[in-house]
Amino acid sequence: MYRTAAKRLLGAGLTTSRLLRSTIIPSSYTSNLCTSSMGHTEFSNQSGPTAAGEGPRRKPRPEFEEEQARVLSASLRHVARLGWTEEAMMAGSRDVGVSPSIVGSFSRKEAALVEYFMDECLQLLVDRVDSGLDLQNLIPSERISKLVRVRLEMQVPYISKWPQALSIQAHPVNVPTSFKQRAMLVDEMWHSVGDGASDLDWYVKRTVLGGVYSTTEIYMLTDDSPEYRETWEFLDDRVKDAFDLKKSIQEAKYFAQDIGAGVGKSFQGLMNGVMQTMSTRGGRSSSSF
Amino acid sequence: MALRLLSSRRRLGSIVLSYRSPLASLHSHATSFGFQQVKEEEKSKLVSNVFTNVASSYDIMNDVMSAGLHRLWKERLVGKLSPFAGMKHLDVAGGTGDVAFRIFDAVNSVKRRALRKVDEASIEETQIYVCDINPNMLNVGKQRAAERGLSDNRSLVWVEGDAEALSFDDDSMDGYTIAFGIRNVTHIEKALAEAYRVLKRGGRFLCLELSHVDIPVFKELYDLYSFQVIPNLGELIAGDRDSYQYLVESVRRFPPQERFAKMIGDAGFEKVEYENLVGGVVAIHSAIKL
Repeated sequence: MYRTAAKRLLGAGLTTSRLLRSTIIPSSYTSNLCTSSMGHTEFSNQSGPTAAGEGPRRKPRPEFEEEQARVLSASLRHVARLGWTEEAMMAGSRDVGVSPSIVGSFSRKEAALVEYFMDECLQLLVDRVDSGLDLQNLIPSERISKLVRVRLEMQVPYISKWPQALSIQAHPVNVPTSFKQRAMLVDEMWHSVGDGASDLDWYVKRTVLGGVYSTTEIYMLTDDSPEYRETWEFLDDRVKDAFDLKKSIQEAKYFAQDIGAGVGKSFQGLMNGVMQTMSTRGGRSSSSF
Repeated sequence: MALRLLSSRRRLGSIVLSYRSPLASLHSHATSFGFQQVKEEEKSKLVSNVFTNVASSYDIMNDVMSAGLHRLWKERLVGKLSPFAGMKHLDVAGGTGDVAFRIFDAVNSVKRRALRKVDEASIEETQIYVCDINPNMLNVGKQRAAERGLSDNRSLVWVEGDAEALSFDDDSMDGYTIAFGIRNVTHIEKALAEAYRVLKRGGRFLCLELSHVDIPVFKELYDLYSFQVIPNLGELIAGDRDSYQYLVESVRRFPPQERFAKMIGDAGFEKVEYENLVGGVVAIHSAIKL
């Protein structure tokens, strides 16, 4: 509901990229539980879409968060070699000119790096869409395909270490954040496609796209074809299935209703039979109770 | 760990100002020796006497008073620090070396793993400096190092010094810890300023200290334990009731978690947080210098 709700609340004047910038960035590497910044009374807040309503008057972020962001950004350059690990983060901190001790202050260390990357990719995707990724001439299923492809291509430089990132995201401690990031990603994609629905369909659409995205992501890990051609074919197939799925779900519903009616009748018949048997038996041997 | 159930983190939202002005309360710390009032100049000498007396039984008493929990607290402290190979670390008021040994172990076990991945010139010597104002405490520490076979190890360096006037260079340390020591310093803000001075950019400050309990019933139990049981234990085991009376009183006089966190922030540190362990009996304050 993020962008659609925001639009409804604040009107069309709101630039959605600014909105996302303020809501995304705090989620990943501010430790939500208890970060307190002395000497700074303003937190980068998470109060939701209303945060960035006033354009240029965005609240300044506490300095340590910027420093942490800088370290994480520098660390990404070392990920291909060192993986999503503390070593990469320490190398990144040395690049920025800060003591590697700062790595100890990240609340979930490697997870912070992965989450930062996910946020950066989402921001990049939003920027690409805003700056005119050509979607107008495509039908919805092709638009979805293109968006997923654009997003997955951002992971190509890190593909050798991406399984590690996935396993980090799957740790129970990290699941809430990674789930939220993926939910926002999927929401963003549907929104870019032009879907403004906010009824029950919303959940179905996002779940389905989430599934498509995840399976394609995993498929990409084992794909050796030049420029990941096979992955994109896989993606197109899945998207097509997903769009057919919508029809299939409707059909399945009707089918179930019919079946239910049939089963219900036969169940009732069964129960009647049972009651009759019990009453006759009971009449013959009432003393057995 | 059972501790996790009781540990809670608090946000520094609205700061509850005490009825005394901040300056007055700092001054009162400088002139308080437990619940007694003393002259500022005398306080450090009195504290020194306390620790000269308790040095030899310091570790045993810690175990008895905290039922062994102090080990878990120190583990948590070192865990939060996340030591790494090549680190320059300063442990202040760490006389008997508890924290220093733990950091040493952490680094050397991590180092072996990390060596496979570590890059070029970052295999510098890890240096852990243990600084204490009291030579007796340092001697106990050196003895323990000898027992572990570490007396010739270049990583551990035992230095006599004052937390309020450290002999180390500016911007030279990656980490600074002070475990159960800042309470005994005469001028807390000076110690904090020194910590800020010696830390590098990005360096972390970690302080483990006995702190204030607010939980209703538990607070009474804790007070009872502190004032009735501990001085008696001190007399029984260490033969020194007065030192332990000073100890429990000094805990009460030390600023509570929020105010201490504010002091840390005032010294220039960023991202000041604290974590209560055992409902507030112990608190770990952490901060970064940027």
